[in-house]
Amino acid sequence: MKKGILILIVAGVGVWLFLITSINLGVLRSGRQVSQLQNEVSIKEARNQYEEVEIARLSSPQRVITFAREQLGLVEEKPHEVVVLEETK
Amino acid sequence: MISRTPFSAPSIFNVKKRLYLVFAVMMLAPLCIMSRLVYLQLFRHDEYAAKAERAIYNSLAEDRKRGGIYDVNGRVWAQSVRTHACGVVKKYVKDKEATLSFLSNTLNIPRKQLEEKWRTSGNFFYAAKKIKPAVYMELAQVLRTPLGQGLDLTPEYERLHPVGESALDIIGAANSKNVGLSGIEQMYNEEMTQHIGKKRARHSGRGEMIYDRSLKDTVNVGNIYLTLDQTAQFYTERALRHAVEQVHPQHAVALVQDPNTGHLLAAASYPVKDGQSLAFQFTYEPGSTFKSLAVATALNSGTLSKGDSIYMENRHWEVAKGFTIRDKQHNKDYLTLAEILQLSSNIGAGKIAVEIGAKTLFSYLKDFGFGSKTDINFNGESKGSLSAYTNWTKVDLATKGYGYGVAVTPIQLITAYSAIANGGKLMQPHLVDRIEYTSGKVEKLAKPVEIRRVLSNETAQTMRELLQTVVEEGSGKRAQIKGYNVAGKTGTAEKLQEGGYGQRRHVVSFAGMVPATRPELVILVILDNPDVYAFGSTAAAPVFKEIAEPLLVLKGIAPDRTDF
Repeated sequence: MKKGILILIVAGVGVWLFLITSINLGVLRSGRQVSQLQNEVSIKEARNQYEEVEIARLSSPQRVITFAREQLGLVEEKPHEVVVLEETK
Repeated sequence: MISRTPFSAPSIFNVKKRLYLVFAVMMLAPLCIMSRLVYLQLFRHDEYAAKAERAIYNSLAEDRKRGGIYDVNGRVWAQSVRTHACGVVKKYVKDKEATLSFLSNTLNIPRKQLEEKWRTSGNFFYAAKKIKPAVYMELAQVLRTPLGQGLDLTPEYERLHPVGESALDIIGAANSKNVGLSGIEQMYNEEMTQHIGKKRARHSGRGEMIYDRSLKDTVNVGNIYLTLDQTAQFYTERALRHAVEQVHPQHAVALVQDPNTGHLLAAASYPVKDGQSLAFQFTYEPGSTFKSLAVATALNSGTLSKGDSIYMENRHWEVAKGFTIRDKQHNKDYLTLAEILQLSSNIGAGKIAVEIGAKTLFSYLKDFGFGSKTDINFNGESKGSLSAYTNWTKVDLATKGYGYGVAVTPIQLITAYSAIANGGKLMQPHLVDRIEYTSGKVEKLAKPVEIRRVLSNETAQTMRELLQTVVEEGSGKRAQIKGYNVAGKTGTAEKLQEGGYGQRRHVVSFAGMVPATRPELVILVILDNPDVYAFGSTAAAPVFKEIAEPLLVLKGIAPDRTDF
């Protein structure tokens, strides 16, 4: 009787340890996967940020004005040459 | 007969008691441990939790998200881009030769350089920093292979400025850990950053970091939107650069302000230093641009009226024994207020100041904001210098009338001119328009705030008319803009140096507004100590024009003249 209980306890502890180990391994594996996915997200975010900065650089007033003048031969207008339409209600 | 008492062992030999004793001794150690654990858990939990956190998340603790800096229309001025630093933990590296070759090829670093780092460092060294995403991908792929053992990729940031040096003196700098070091970057560091280092991570047996960040991590950082307009800033910087190329000043500043809101639309400095804007930190004696304020004070306080004339003392006014003011630019016996401004008469402005009196002039100058910080909230802002009127002699009073003996900052002077432009109200100047948090919350910082009324509407209008004559008939002709009425005042001040004021060292300036009939732009240009002979009229007024013309187009401000 006593021996049976002892075996049961040992088996129980064994199962418990197995479960704990499996769960821990699972958590570790999931952590690694999450980490991988997050790295990929970070990389894509970083690439996106670089693209945004590049767009900002290409559309900066300095570049647009220089391009318009030097490449397209445009000249800057004088304020009196511009007709300002006032908004009316 | 021997009587024997029944055998009873001494209590020490009692088996039961011995067992209890052994048990008690055996339990002593666990009890101590347990009580210590209870003590640590209950009373020193925070301390040890923090230590553990630091030990485990050491490299991640520095990971911060940082918002960007934008102009009023949302154009990017500064933005952080996530990069990585590649570290090498020597003790985890399995094959030194292969790893160094791989790093050399991937990072495009000479092999010798890496070997040198390996030899001279302790257990850890950085092979490269600011690694771009494409290279990072190559490195990340080998991390779990034997080749990547001992390599550690830690996140860091690169602060990019897509428009180069534009407004860098205002924006300032942030480091690779996303910490603001100067300028707006430093002042709004707290609003712009968020630690995202609260991740669980551990080193695997191969030295690789495994992150376990909660998927619920939400990033909430503030993006700073300045009142500056990137296009206006470009035109202002371009005009200032042209002036610098022509007259080679030691310093130069150009500011553009909306007089009705106090918003700064552009602020250019030369030379450009990260986070050190001359607009707020440069102090100087303003010279003749200050005469407008003396005249405005005289008109508003009722000391003089628009039609009054001032006797010129034969262009040779002895204010006090040993101190004489001379006007060499005219030969008139009397000058009207308009002529005093047009001809920039020191005698006229000096006599007006004396007529006003020290107490009243001081009170008005304080009301205009001189001698105090503007609270624009920029680190290192100077308050200038305006001594108490009780210490002024008659000479001090007279010289203040034409802008000597007082030190001002560009932001103070332009804000005072804005008061003339907007009908007499001193407006709180603003540099930061709003903070938009990624959570959606918007904090509006640049609501127009009237600090106080300095001049009556009538005085302000009279001043605009007087200053308009300066541009039409006086020293400010080079600031004229076709189609628009321009009002302004030139300034050419001698600089104080050892042994007194030097005729070869000047600060030349122009402060003006356009359209003069309903000003929407106030512009101040200052060129400090040009190395060629220059005046406010010849060097600074044209810069005003060069800035104003494209801004009138940009803002869609209609001409207020029809005779063009």
